Amino acid sequence: MPPLDKRIKKFLKNSIRIAPKISDKGELAELRTGLVSQYPQTRKDAIKKTIQQMTVGKDVSTLFPDVLKNMATNDIEQKKLVYLYVMNYAETHPELCILAVNTFVTDAQDPNPLIRCMAIRTMSMIRVEKILEYIEIPLRRTLQDDNPYVRKTAVICVAKLFQLNKELCIELGVLEDLKSSLDDENPMVVANATASLAEINDMDPSIVDLKSLIQLHVKQFLAVLNECTEWARITILGALSEYSARDGLEAQDIIDRVTAHLQHVNPAVVLATIKVVIKNLPQTDFNPNSLIMKKLSSALVSLMSSPPEMQYVALKNIRIILEKYPEILSKELRIFYIKFNDPLYVKLEKIDILIRLVDKGNLKQCSLLLTELKEYSMEFEPEFVSRAIQGLSQLGIKFSGEKFLQKVLDILIELIDRDQNSIKDDCCIAMCNILRHLPENTDMASQICSILNAWESPDEYLRTDVAKCNYVWLLGQYPENFPSLKAKVNIFLELFNQEESLTQTSILITVVRLHSKLPGSTLQSVLEKATKETTELDVRDMAIMYWRCLSMDDSEELVEELCKIIPPHLETTIDQFSPDLLEKLLLELGTISSIYFKPQANRRTRDVSYENVVKGKEINELQDLAKNELASKANEEVLLDFGDDDEEDEDELDGDNLTSVRTNKKYSALDDLDDLFNFGTTTGKPKSFKDDIGISQGINELNLRPSVDSNSRSQSNTQELLDLF
Amino acid sequence: MGSYFSSMFDRLWGVNKELRILILGLDGAGKTTILYRLQIGEVVTTKPTIGFNVETLTYKNLKLNVWDLGGQTSIRPYWRCYYADTAAVIFVVDSTDKDRMATASKELHLMLQEEELQDAALLVFANKQDQPGALSASEVSRELNLVELKDRSWSIVASSAIKGEGITEGLDWLIEVIKEEQL
Repeated sequence: MPPLDKRIKKFLKNSIRIAPKISDKGELAELRTGLVSQYPQTRKDAIKKTIQQMTVGKDVSTLFPDVLKNMATNDIEQKKLVYLYVMNYAETHPELCILAVNTFVTDAQDPNPLIRCMAIRTMSMIRVEKILEYIEIPLRRTLQDDNPYVRKTAVICVAKLFQLNKELCIELGVLEDLKSSLDDENPMVVANATASLAEINDMDPSIVDLKSLIQLHVKQFLAVLNECTEWARITILGALSEYSARDGLEAQDIIDRVTAHLQHVNPAVVLATIKVVIKNLPQTDFNPNSLIMKKLSSALVSLMSSPPEMQYVALKNIRIILEKYPEILSKELRIFYIKFNDPLYVKLEKIDILIRLVDKGNLKQCSLLLTELKEYSMEFEPEFVSRAIQGLSQLGIKFSGEKFLQKVLDILIELIDRDQNSIKDDCCIAMCNILRHLPENTDMASQICSILNAWESPDEYLRTDVAKCNYVWLLGQYPENFPSLKAKVNIFLELFNQEESLTQTSILITVVRLHSKLPGSTLQSVLEKATKETTELDVRDMAIMYWRCLSMDDSEELVEELCKIIPPHLETTIDQFSPDLLEKLLLELGTISSIYFKPQANRRTRDVSYENVVKGKEINELQDLAKNELASKANEEVLLDFGDDDEEDEDELDGDNLTSVRTNKKYSALDDLDDLFNFGTTTGKPKSFKDDIGISQGINELNLRPSVDSNSRSQSNTQELLDLF
Repeated sequence: MGSYFSSMFDRLWGVNKELRILILGLDGAGKTTILYRLQIGEVVTTKPTIGFNVETLTYKNLKLNVWDLGGQTSIRPYWRCYYADTAAVIFVVDSTDKDRMATASKELHLMLQEEELQDAALLVFANKQDQPGALSASEVSRELNLVELKDRSWSIVASSAIKGEGITEGLDWLIEVIKEEQL
């Protein structure tokens, strides 16, 4: 019998504490006492408060063991809250998670399907190795559950398990269960099983043969398509788009079955449907005026009345579709006209679409668009105005009539006269492009040159590299139209070292072309600057090349020949996908690939998720990963097109810029890997490609080859790195 | 608001108050079987408990919150998470497992040293008496050094969870002690 005072104290402690006591130990201690209270209601309140704290971002992870104690309860609300907590903090207490295993396993056999589903979902969500050892029984049981709600959750869990532990997942054989779920009678289960298999296929294409599975189950897919929720529909439509129909009849059938979904409210469903239709269209005998084209067109139009973010996605996808079926929206030009309240990113895309869409045989339409673009170029947003001016020249070159181009030019001149320095860059580029399209039109050339010649100090008006480069090109192209040629060249020559590579190259070429018109010292000085003072390798290589040419016996003829080459006419400034890329993109409509115009295979998203899993991997596994990475890089490099023509084509230049940026990225990636595997061991590999001496040696070896690209260099580095392993 | 008042009344009258009882012991001693013997009165087939089972049962007008914690070596360190506010500990011993008596004894004494368990009563089940070669209650008591325990109400009962022998007797004793000491 304990002493009386102790008993009284205990009585007081247990009975009189009605309102939650504000203790001086702080909130966490208070919550903890609540969580282990002897009264069920108090415990539940405490859990609620804990979750509340969690959702506002406070760290309540220290309560983990105490919250866990409340997991085994019949109160479904409480169970859900505890599961929520466990999901959030399991990673901070991986060792304690083992205490939850028994509850998970018991809950997975609960009579209530909600609880069964919750248990398996949470269990597979916890990224803790130890828990996975015990997942087999509950997972297998829920995969065979009577209740479709549980089954549809369990099939997703297989993919989660696969991501966390591939070997275990294969060993347990749950993939077989997953495959058989494709035959399930419930549409949701079929959709989720498809999604799950697709995920697994993304993570490791060698495990399941998704293609043949899809081939086998097309009938099921088509049957469940109308019965499931919108998200499930997207998944199933995605799977259908991977299916290649056996003949035209089947393709037509698939198209007929899915067309109803073109009118769905969810843009993602619409895009997925469009994807399926486009995939099957080539196999059917359709003509541009057929009903299906009209339906596609109206579906795309309906996307344009969605919120701006959706519109953006739609526009990006329309851009892809237009390249395959240019006539699809030809009657709908108006809906792409810009509204004053469109966000900038939508405006920019709309201009692009407008120019692609306009029918170049239709003067009226083109003129209308021209006036529209003129309006746009007088707006206030710099990017928008810049894009509109670019659009003006694109439209002009697309329509290609001299009269029309003159109109475009008049607009450009008008714009320049408005005396806004910010648009001079774009106008200069646009005018140069027009001249590249019509090189023989001397009227236009003199008109343009006289405007540009009037600029006292062009280096002040022009800011971007591309614009300066264009200006300098123009000096070289029409020297007779520039009365103050020497002064202009000198301005640029003085600033040579401050310019970027494009302008430097352009200056170099122009001076060489004009060497007979300029004093000899100019040529000397530009060659010296280009070989000694610049950090741009391409410029240096080119200068060395010219120098060699000039030092040869028949230098005059050689240089003459080099400079006389007439570049081909600029036919279009609207960029196009390569046919290969276009086909790939058409299969990935409505995905993120369609926004970046980069097919899944070229993206690196999967590597990122690998990094998450990478934590406990062995070093040789990491090396394998790295090897694959490097191999894929090497492939990519072969694909890269290092155009070695000079600054003639603006788009080409953009392309070049892009590739060089990508090359830089590659350097850094290689660099990282290099760092990763050096580990301070004795074989500290010198990073030759970072080494200036190495580079100049390389150039010496490569000697007279024009435009030595970084291509060959980086490839050899890749090889070196590969050899390292 | 309603729940607030009801919980206030619960407290005043001690109605919904639950007593926390832990069932501990080495793995394979029969803890889960005992728990479900108490709860549903039947023998259930069990798997090694990875984590815990908890059941609420009403016994002689008392609400008991009975926790059965897994006995694997890997889980034993986490027993301490459950010690707070515990009214009693039921320690289950496999009477046929003579080799691990020393381990059981060590775990038991280690546990009883915990500050949070100073007021808890101790009931030891010398389980698996239905098996041949099982040690008797007094032999188990000697192996576990139970006599050394001071300042604590303890008792050892020979039991067989499979046959249902000794379980209620043990619990009856435990409830009496708890009522006397703690209520």
